[in-house]
Amino acid sequence: MSPKHPVDVPTGTPTDAPADSAVRVARARSGGGGSTILPVRREQPDAVEVRRVTATVRRTDVFAAVGATVAALSVTTLLYTQLAPFDGVLGFVVLGYLAFLGFYGLLVSLDEDGPAVRDRLVGAVVHSLGFLVLAVLALVVLYTFAEGWRPLTHLNFLTEDMSVTGPLEPLTQGGALHAIVGTLQQIGLALLFTVPLAMICAVFLSEIPGRLSRLVRTIAEAMTALPSIVAGLFVYATVILALGYRHSSFATSLAISVMMLPIIIRAADVVIRLVPGSLREAALALGASQWRTVWHVVLPTARSGLTTAVILGTARGIGETSPVLLTAGGATSVNLNPFDGWNNSLPLVTYALTRSPEESFIVRGFGTAATLMVLVLLLFVLARLVGGRGPGQLSRRQLRRRARESARDVTRYARRAGPPPAVRAVGPAPAVRSAGPPPAPRPGTAGADRHGVPAVSPPEKENRDG
Amino acid sequence: MAPVDTPRTTIPGAATGPADAPRRVRERRGGADLLFRALARGGGVVVLCVMLLVGGFLLYRAQDALGVAGWSFLTTQEWDPDAGAGRFGIAAVLTGTVLIAMVAIVVAVPLATGAALYISEYAPRRIRQTLISLVDLMAAVPSVVYGLWGFFLLQDNVLGLSNWITTYFGWIPIFDVKDSDPRDPLSTMTVYTSSTFVAGLVVGMMITPIVCSIMREVFSQAPPGEREGAYALGATKWGMIRAVVLPFGRGGMIGGTMLGLGRALGETIAIVMIISPVFKIQPHILENGASSVAALIALRYGDSTEAGISALFAAGLALFVMTLIVNFLASMIIARSRSGAASEV
Amino acid sequence: MAETATRMRRGVARLLALALVAASVLLGTPATAAPRLVSITGSGSTWSQNALDQWRADVRQNNITVHYSGVGSTAGRNAFAQGTVDFAVSEIEFGAEANEAIPRRRFAYMPIVAGGTSFMYNLKIGGRRVTNLRLSGDVIAKIFTGSIRMWNDAAIRADNPGLNLPARRIVPVVRSDGSGTTAQFVKWMNNQYPSIWRPWCRSKGRTEAQCNVLSFYPPGFTAQAGSSQIAGYVAGSNAEGAITYVEYSYAKENGFPVVKVLNKAGYYVEPTANSVAVALTRAQIETGNPNAQNYLTQKLEGVYNDRDKRTYPLSSYSYMVIPLAHENGVTEGKAYTLGRFAYYFLCQGQQKVDLLGYSPLPINLVEAGFNQVKRIPGVVQEARPIRSCNNPTFSTDGTNTLARTAVNPPECDKKGNGQQCTAGTGGAAGTPTENSNNNSGGSGTGNGSAGTPGGTGNPGGTGTSPSVAPTASQSAGPGLVDPATGEVIGNGNGGGGEQFVAGVPVSLAGEGGWRLRHTMMVLAGIVLLALVVGPPLIFRRSGVTRTGTEGPKR
Repeated sequence: MSPKHPVDVPTGTPTDAPADSAVRVARARSGGGGSTILPVRREQPDAVEVRRVTATVRRTDVFAAVGATVAALSVTTLLYTQLAPFDGVLGFVVLGYLAFLGFYGLLVSLDEDGPAVRDRLVGAVVHSLGFLVLAVLALVVLYTFAEGWRPLTHLNFLTEDMSVTGPLEPLTQGGALHAIVGTLQQIGLALLFTVPLAMICAVFLSEIPGRLSRLVRTIAEAMTALPSIVAGLFVYATVILALGYRHSSFATSLAISVMMLPIIIRAADVVIRLVPGSLREAALALGASQWRTVWHVVLPTARSGLTTAVILGTARGIGETSPVLLTAGGATSVNLNPFDGWNNSLPLVTYALTRSPEESFIVRGFGTAATLMVLVLLLFVLARLVGGRGPGQLSRRQLRRRARESARDVTRYARRAGPPPAVRAVGPAPAVRSAGPPPAPRPGTAGADRHGVPAVSPPEKENRDG
Repeated sequence: MAPVDTPRTTIPGAATGPADAPRRVRERRGGADLLFRALARGGGVVVLCVMLLVGGFLLYRAQDALGVAGWSFLTTQEWDPDAGAGRFGIAAVLTGTVLIAMVAIVVAVPLATGAALYISEYAPRRIRQTLISLVDLMAAVPSVVYGLWGFFLLQDNVLGLSNWITTYFGWIPIFDVKDSDPRDPLSTMTVYTSSTFVAGLVVGMMITPIVCSIMREVFSQAPPGEREGAYALGATKWGMIRAVVLPFGRGGMIGGTMLGLGRALGETIAIVMIISPVFKIQPHILENGASSVAALIALRYGDSTEAGISALFAAGLALFVMTLIVNFLASMIIARSRSGAASEV
Repeated sequence: MAETATRMRRGVARLLALALVAASVLLGTPATAAPRLVSITGSGSTWSQNALDQWRADVRQNNITVHYSGVGSTAGRNAFAQGTVDFAVSEIEFGAEANEAIPRRRFAYMPIVAGGTSFMYNLKIGGRRVTNLRLSGDVIAKIFTGSIRMWNDAAIRADNPGLNLPARRIVPVVRSDGSGTTAQFVKWMNNQYPSIWRPWCRSKGRTEAQCNVLSFYPPGFTAQAGSSQIAGYVAGSNAEGAITYVEYSYAKENGFPVVKVLNKAGYYVEPTANSVAVALTRAQIETGNPNAQNYLTQKLEGVYNDRDKRTYPLSSYSYMVIPLAHENGVTEGKAYTLGRFAYYFLCQGQQKVDLLGYSPLPINLVEAGFNQVKRIPGVVQEARPIRSCNNPTFSTDGTNTLARTAVNPPECDKKGNGQQCTAGTGGAAGTPTENSNNNSGGSGTGNGSAGTPGGTGNPGGTGTSPSVAPTASQSAGPGLVDPATGEVIGNGNGGGGEQFVAGVPVSLAGEGGWRLRHTMMVLAGIVLLALVVGPPLIFRRSGVTRTGTEGPKR
């Protein structure tokens, strides 16, 4: 805890738990006058601090920025056109930017003191860096689409392959079907290999802790550092050279699997570890066996996170070129058999076509790159749709459903309010249902343990639709 | 936490016995559970085996070449594995890999820090989520797309910058370009193409989103209480960032950078598309000709005989060890830092 | 030790292979008696890739699927030896290079196409592309060993009296991968200019034996992988001054000119289909024992030293390495498919290769090729009458028609007569280059607008006159005719100075360094800033001293 920590922690044990400090800040603020009266607040143990917007924009700030921009532009233009024999767009931009910073600092310093000037200047720099990064990244994507949209406008790009298409053929002939088919085969097989294995392994890592799982976790983390080309080389040397099994989608999928497996395991492991221990304990306390706990509580709770892990791993695997380069061969015609014969994939076709000096091939290469981007984009959107929520966080539909069910429960309880005690109602059946999730604790904080006990209390709503 | 069901329940009269000692909990597992545990353990073992197989095979195949070359493997710049000891080594390619990664880091870290600060501190709240998604999406863009961009768009536009740098900073050895003469109006721009610098720029742009998204994550976790405390003490926004956000996120920044470095070291295809391979240590980053281990493997795997493949495995092993060290350092730094406990990296 | 390790690995490999392949076997269909078409794979040379790609596309309509990957001859031979492909294509044979092993697999060579290793370049004079560059062999060798480094070198000027060559650096671009093109080029240099090549090669740490044939060019130049990439690099907009070696078809494809190389008869010749055919009549083909491993391989000393005026010295054949046994995945079906493919490209496939930039095989090699195809077990022989192939080299009397009808090079391409033909070469055949050298050549003497024969790949040669071969694009008159408009462009009288729109750069003394105008520039900048920034600052300072209270507004 830094000495600049604003809140003087009264107790001897400094704590980093954000919830505590928030409450204290609130208390300290609400105090007024001599006698501090603490407002009666319902203590929400899981209240997460929310950042508030404190920034305001004043007119003088805007004036300074606009003025500095105009001044910088004018001076730079004057320099470029009248005074100095400069040329080049890059130089103009850099010089103009430096002039802007100078003028901006000067203008602000007319009104403000040193720290404020520094603040404004850094603000300007951070803004421009942010915009620069976003602009460049957008440029990468837009450039690909701008160069590659032309082949995409022809339907044959998605329905034909390149087996009879030479560099002189128009874009109305030939396409990337072979690449799409190959990519789908490879990623499909790779998912077939990795997803079950990765899920089992991730469950093993978090549910059966021990020396073995620590070892597996360490090794899996180490293998995420394996460069994809080395994964490709491994499969090339074993499957293709040593086993004499020719280049094929199958070989490629093995290479992609070797690369994807540790990535998915790691992500899935993190997600499963985020499932609150209280849920597990609740299930176990209700008498569920371990596999039922995992199957009905842990996995459904982590489902969206697991899906995200798989999808992001897929996006990573689908875009890799180097393992494909070594193991797919590079076919130009559609090959529907993933186990025999050469194949191709979108990134490899992109690479191969753009290596050619032929303009028409380069355009097609950009077309395949754009197709690949669309595929990645779709996967990404899919990941955002299913994922992006912590374990136990529910979507709107799920919330509605939960509300409906609890309303039903209330009427049911009301009906039963008579003789039978509540204990009887809790049979073995609810035990296999998942306990209602408390709001997600921040990952890794002590939060999960702290409110582990209260979380078990009421009869819970189910979360089975994930 | 034994539940008290009814008022009739009495506390067992165990007071006479020894003090409350932890009892041994006996686990009794049913058949299904045993099966489940066996299955899970089996999955773990299979994964372990696969990983060890890959690692072991890497070692096994590398050892032939390492045995032939010995220490000269680390000091030789050439790459001609069929010619025997002393004729192949990774001195040049490893240096090239590190140089490209260094250029990438030098480019990526300021950009990523700026962008991360912008997203977490400055961006209007409405667009923040969009920006986060955008950066995360960019991290998922295939490297071949970055390679295309670098080869077809960036390279042509960056030659002027290379020329400018070498004209005015050519006295710094790494910016020197052998065949460039700024006074020669016919001097060719080819001396600046396919260079470490261009490859590094492309890789830098590629890892920027990765580094940025980790940094952003860490910055946004800086405790609001401390932020507001800083404001309350009269700090400006930058003062607050310097006093709270950056110290809090330091571990994440270093860790994210290292993770980006790990990616940069292992990057293949974008580099293959840019560089013109050379097998000598190329300290002049602006000059035509660069090398990297991953590119070496991609370019030479087909030409390699048994000995060559073994040598490539040795090079791959060296690269793997390097990225491994970098990644482990990264996760160690992240885990040790204040923000790291909460980070998913 | 290593041997046993390898054997052990193989043993383990087989076991694992059984397990792995089991899955695919389940999906596969049982072998049938009748041969059927299956897809075949091959890899190797990029030198002949353009022809192979064309043939591949051609046979696709007969449901013959051929996968070919141009990864370089070395990689192709390697893949064949490792058994990962069904056939390979290479310019040099196994073991031609020092320490290359002969594969254990049974194989034979079969010539597939002829062509010229050409020198594609990217050079402009005064903003206009040079398309008629001529070089003699020793100059080429010196360029690619780094001893000639500037385009205006005296030796290059001596070869090109009609060009005012710029003081631009030569950028030789070589292949970074193991390449048959490199091997052919190195063989030629080693044979013809050992005094230039060998010392340089040795200085790069290569052994005496390695310097004879090298698939990997020694380091020191910009390197790119693959013919199309290297050609693309040279064709790039910022690659001005670059020169490389590729098959003629790549220059045609990219629309770039190639160097006319000096032959032993003292003429600068372009590697057209005709000049390659002429040259290869001197190639020594190994025809002794059809069962020998080196059957049909080529020896090119005769080609290098041919004294025919029309010959292009760097001509050679490209070979396909075909399997002779059902091993390493070659099955009955694959052999059948390969046979169908081979019959096609040896016969009809040869018709079009000159349009691509290759030269068709002569009749004796086509026949020998047919006999080689028969040796692949499982090939269904096709009774293809060789006359039906329509190969442009075939004639009734057994001579090579293409070589017989090749026209002599024009006199303006003769070395040492102070003239230089202006017609373009290679892919830039339609773009003549005006005489830009006003000092040498003199007015009117550079009147060499007679078209070079075959620049457009005209196989038959409509005009058989040895000195003038009028084609559509080049007229023999005093003016040049624009092929598109038919208008006379350029007066062809050798002066041609008014053709240049862009100025020729002139180097000025005293360029660079800090000079007065730089000081003035900086001063002007400072004055400008002072003018803009000064008044408010001064005013503010004085304001503060006057009122003493004006602080930053909050």
